[in-house]
Amino acid sequence: MLSPERLAQPDYEYLAQRHVLTYVEDAVYQLLENREDISQYGITRFFTEYFNSVCQGTHILFREFSFIQATPHNRASFLRAFWRCFRTVGKNGDLLTMREYHCLLQLLCPDFPLELTQKAARIVLMDDAMDCLMSFSDFLFAFQIQFYYSEFLDSVAAIYQDLLSGKNPNTVIVPTSSSGQHRQRPALGEAGVPEGVEAALFYQCLENLCDRHKYSCPPSALVKEILSSVQRLTFYGFLMALSKHHGINQALGALPDRRDLMQDPAGDEELERLLAQVPGLVPAAAATPEPGCPAPRILPRVGSPWRPLHHPRKVDTESDGSTEETDESET
Amino acid sequence: MAAVEKRRPAGTPAGSFTDSGRPSVSRTAAAVESEEDFLRQVGVTEMLRTALLKVLEARPEEPIAFLAHYFENMGLRSPANGGAGEPPGQLLLQQQRLGRALWHLRLAHHSQRTAFNNNVSVAYECLSKSGRRKKPGLDGRTYSELLRHICRDGQAPEEVVAPLLHKIQCRDHEAVPLGVFRAGMLTCFVLLEFVARASALFQLLEAPGLATIDRRVGQAVLDTLEGALGAGDHATTPACYLEAGSRLGPDSLALAMDRAAAGRRPSSPMAREEFLEKAAALFIAKVKPVG
Repeated sequence: MLSPERLAQPDYEYLAQRHVLTYVEDAVYQLLENREDISQYGITRFFTEYFNSVCQGTHILFREFSFIQATPHNRASFLRAFWRCFRTVGKNGDLLTMREYHCLLQLLCPDFPLELTQKAARIVLMDDAMDCLMSFSDFLFAFQIQFYYSEFLDSVAAIYQDLLSGKNPNTVIVPTSSSGQHRQRPALGEAGVPEGVEAALFYQCLENLCDRHKYSCPPSALVKEILSSVQRLTFYGFLMALSKHHGINQALGALPDRRDLMQDPAGDEELERLLAQVPGLVPAAAATPEPGCPAPRILPRVGSPWRPLHHPRKVDTESDGSTEETDESET
Repeated sequence: MAAVEKRRPAGTPAGSFTDSGRPSVSRTAAAVESEEDFLRQVGVTEMLRTALLKVLEARPEEPIAFLAHYFENMGLRSPANGGAGEPPGQLLLQQQRLGRALWHLRLAHHSQRTAFNNNVSVAYECLSKSGRRKKPGLDGRTYSELLRHICRDGQAPEEVVAPLLHKIQCRDHEAVPLGVFRAGMLTCFVLLEFVARASALFQLLEAPGLATIDRRVGQAVLDTLEGALGAGDHATTPACYLEAGSRLGPDSLALAMDRAAAGRRPSSPMAREEFLEKAAALFIAKVKPVG
């Protein structure tokens, strides 16, 4: 019922852990940006609505990337918003490319970096054939892992590389900004050495990492579960397993189970509500033309098919049949 | 609509603010200075300072939701902020005062005694400033109504808390001093938590499918509870808390339940209401009556 440790924390630690100051600062920032409105609304009402929207998770809509990734709650809210807004893509069974998913992300967050979308696509496609089509659910769950645990995955990539090159894992000092290192695919073992690293050793290092990691990590019991079911595995094999693990999805708490992904009556209502907000947004959007983003004002309408993004090669089968590799590693 | 407000028009120079009496502050010149001034002038700085102090005092599990409620309540409190309308009647005023007092009381959990005590004092002040009457002070009627409110919102069955209300209520015309008020509020909140825990305990003991528990097991649990509460009776030393704790420890409780369940004779079931009522009665027996 209560988590008593919060009562014993020093003030600053308590505020930092719950990101209170992040939101208070942002609220003030928003207030300054909207000074004209304040005279109409009143400051208390502004703060009430701001903090309520943070609770509801609608505060991240159309915000800049640096804010969207600032707290775990913002990340989870963004994932949820992405799912709710574009669920129809999955419902229609459309398969999209990485670039098309990136456009969808940019509809919600105009400066969303391409790099993150690419990384998520690598998980789905196992770092292969990057222009392949992906189903909505495959992409969504891979994207969830990549986006929510971004810093953790960077560290994991570094550890994986070290293990691959035969360094002693116990002396590994994990650099936190080593993205890109894992880009090159691990070369297939020269003389019949199997691909990947030994799972048990890998787990030892990850357990260590989870303990001292200051960013969010997946629950280490679940990581153990994944790694103890195999002998060896590759980096992308591991990420794929993370993204498919429904316990991890549950622990993260942003998305429903994979099988409930398309049914969400509450989401339909919410979607209606969000869309009702859209007309009010359009004039404001005119002030910020985003050169990199294709037409941020073409916003989705419920029920309308995805003409601009619709891929000519429509596949009628179930959405999960996107890539063969994907299904193989289903646990 | 919230999103509309938060949309940041990046790069657009915010226009001039010549409307209303506010000094028009140009954002481009000496931006930081003027922003700070602006925040101070419209009272944001002070407002946030107070809010954050409240957060730190109460240490809520979910501080953002807490802040949302905090500001919402603050907005309701000052009708100048948009809540235009005819002046509220006497009855409505009374309702508002009660609502405000309740809100203060719930800001901090009662286990955080300092924060809780502060809030109790604020709530007391809220209620004491009653309208046009000259004499400040809280009468028994308002106090009793507040108690009933708390119990109703606490989701404890009425018959369970009724004996407590009977015991700590004051007469309608009596003046209620702060000490009595504080004790009453604290007892009420502690009882509600006690009942919630007892209800959780009942759920654990519940036979699957049936909404009842075995009477002997239930009675054994209640007896253990009574024994533990009794241990604190005469002693004021901290040792009695330890003794009570040990009597309620898993070992002795399990032993008692085991013993009760061992007797194979069939026994009648015990319903939730009965269990809660009996458990609460143990607690209420310890409460000193008012007056």
